[in-house]
Amino acid sequence: MTQDNRSGRPQGRPPEGDVRVSRVEASLRGPFLLFFVSAVIWLLVASVLGVIAALGLGSSVGVLRECSWFTPGRVAAAQQDLFVYGWGFNAFFALNLWLLSQLGRFEFRNGWLAQLGGVAWNLALTYGVARVFAGEMSGYRLLDFPREVGPVLAVAFLLAGFWPIVAFARRPTGHTFASQWFVVGASFAFPLVYLLAQLLVLWQPASGVVQAVAHSWFVANLLQLWFGASALAAIYYFLPKVLERTLTGYYLAPVAFWTFFLFAGWTGPAALVGSPVPLWLQSTGVVAAAMMIIPAIIIAINVHGTLSTQGGWGRAWNDTTLRFVSFGAVAFTLAGVLGGVFAFRAPSAVARFTSFATGLEQLLVYGCATMVVFGASYFVLPRLTGTLWPSAKLVHAHFWATALGFLLALVAWLVGGWQTGQLLANPAVAYADVLRAESSWFFLLTVSSVLLLVGHVAFALNAFGMILKAPAPASRHD
Amino acid sequence: MKNLNTLLAGVFLAVALPFGALVLSGQSQLGGLGRAAGEEGGALFPAREPGLAIQGRAVYVSLGCVSCHTQQVRPAGQGSDLARGLGARPSVARDYALQPQVLLGERRLGPDLANYGARSSQINVETLLTDPASSGAVWHPSYRFVDAAQRTALVAYLKSLRQDYPSPEAKLKK
Repeated sequence: MTQDNRSGRPQGRPPEGDVRVSRVEASLRGPFLLFFVSAVIWLLVASVLGVIAALGLGSSVGVLRECSWFTPGRVAAAQQDLFVYGWGFNAFFALNLWLLSQLGRFEFRNGWLAQLGGVAWNLALTYGVARVFAGEMSGYRLLDFPREVGPVLAVAFLLAGFWPIVAFARRPTGHTFASQWFVVGASFAFPLVYLLAQLLVLWQPASGVVQAVAHSWFVANLLQLWFGASALAAIYYFLPKVLERTLTGYYLAPVAFWTFFLFAGWTGPAALVGSPVPLWLQSTGVVAAAMMIIPAIIIAINVHGTLSTQGGWGRAWNDTTLRFVSFGAVAFTLAGVLGGVFAFRAPSAVARFTSFATGLEQLLVYGCATMVVFGASYFVLPRLTGTLWPSAKLVHAHFWATALGFLLALVAWLVGGWQTGQLLANPAVAYADVLRAESSWFFLLTVSSVLLLVGHVAFALNAFGMILKAPAPASRHD
Repeated sequence: MKNLNTLLAGVFLAVALPFGALVLSGQSQLGGLGRAAGEEGGALFPAREPGLAIQGRAVYVSLGCVSCHTQQVRPAGQGSDLARGLGARPSVARDYALQPQVLLGERRLGPDLANYGARSSQINVETLLTDPASSGAVWHPSYRFVDAAQRTALVAYLKSLRQDYPSPEAKLKK
């Protein structure tokens, strides 16, 4: 362990005094920073809405309750949309582009196109969220925006998020790495999934409950094939990179990739067990969710196998990037295994309609993907800006607030959700008593939302401080 | 894994196959559902929605009610919906065949509303929106800003929600 490690300084920064940035990274600076800064701003807004939503669950928040913009349904929809499309997409636009440019030595000559896409994406998102607050939403979670927003987001995605595929196509060597497969898969799958879902849910709605089937298919694909695949790409990159080791059982990675993509798309109807949709659809979803344990185990062999040898866990704990990335890797394994086990009919009958499903979803979206993005930022930003993170204390505050905040929420969602489900399953328990039991977890969720906000503010202060004090790009080119 | 075309073709199939098998097959199986009589010579159900109920659905969606209320009754063995009296029978796909926008819901922070219109003791929605505490729903948010016309439409919509008729797929117990 170096002196820098002991002082809590984030690793993965350029050597002291060396502010030279590679030509590849210099070409990425503009689009990367646009995506990254947008992502962090949306994260902060979503975090504030998260606190409002949590407060609204358990108590009356006077003024806000009298304001039509802040009905619990609108706040929840806006918060989710901002977190997913604002934070999640912008962050992975930046990270996926950086990853594939690094791995493919791709010099980005058309950065303005990506920036144009980023601006269009964020403007469409702002418009969509404003409409949600005004009550003009679709009623379908994560497809809440009025339908005219969808095509704009799709075009903006093609401008902003398609470049990793170009970087893959133009790589100078024949060799490829697992991170590249996952990013190419995520970048190609999302626009397809989004456009098909828009078509059958909003533009030409399918008949009756088929809308719910299409919606469940969309949500599963969005979460797994964008958030899951993008996060896995980063895990597969940063783990061997920072540990300077090859991954255990890396020859299994292609199996992990194909099984992940093969099964993920079928898991949607697992969320409809017991609903008025054909049983064969429900069963297909359950089987696919159970099959997702296969890629989860293979990825666990690759990732946890590597971390479990030669003091990997200790090194991961002492490295800021790996601390976050390992957290995300553990969350991914848990999400895969729990998602498979609790998709079956018996546990699903208990957990349905409770916060349990939220817990499983957030295990992937926050516990895995968001924590991985945080870790990656500590590695990438110093390289792109040529400066150090301003405050080690803020780094620690960021990790502990987000890790503790997330774990508290996870306990409330999973344990609270399961307890509520068991009470609901017992018809002798009055509905008022079920609600009373469920509301006892709201306090924990409120504390968690405040902790997450604190962590995100610490991250934003550090990141923005770093970007603002970075030297002008011209002085850093080779 | 080195060929971009192979990779893209594989990912395309990974997206297209489930879409075709789950969504398009579902549409081909359920797309033709319409009104039907549960018994020979009986009345056709589900009933067509009154115009005011259609306006009420827009209010329901606009307020975000779907984030806390479900509209589905699960069969016996999948939860206690029937034992709790949420409906006289499980919901079936035909119940939603005429609905332009199906709002099954994913969370049950409030009671299920699939059979709100069929309940004998209905909570007063007007009071629920303006003064939830006095209506007994202590956790329900206040929606005092909803104007009278919207409240009337919302009540009409909620009263139109009922699955207490026999369906070819789910008979009522005698």
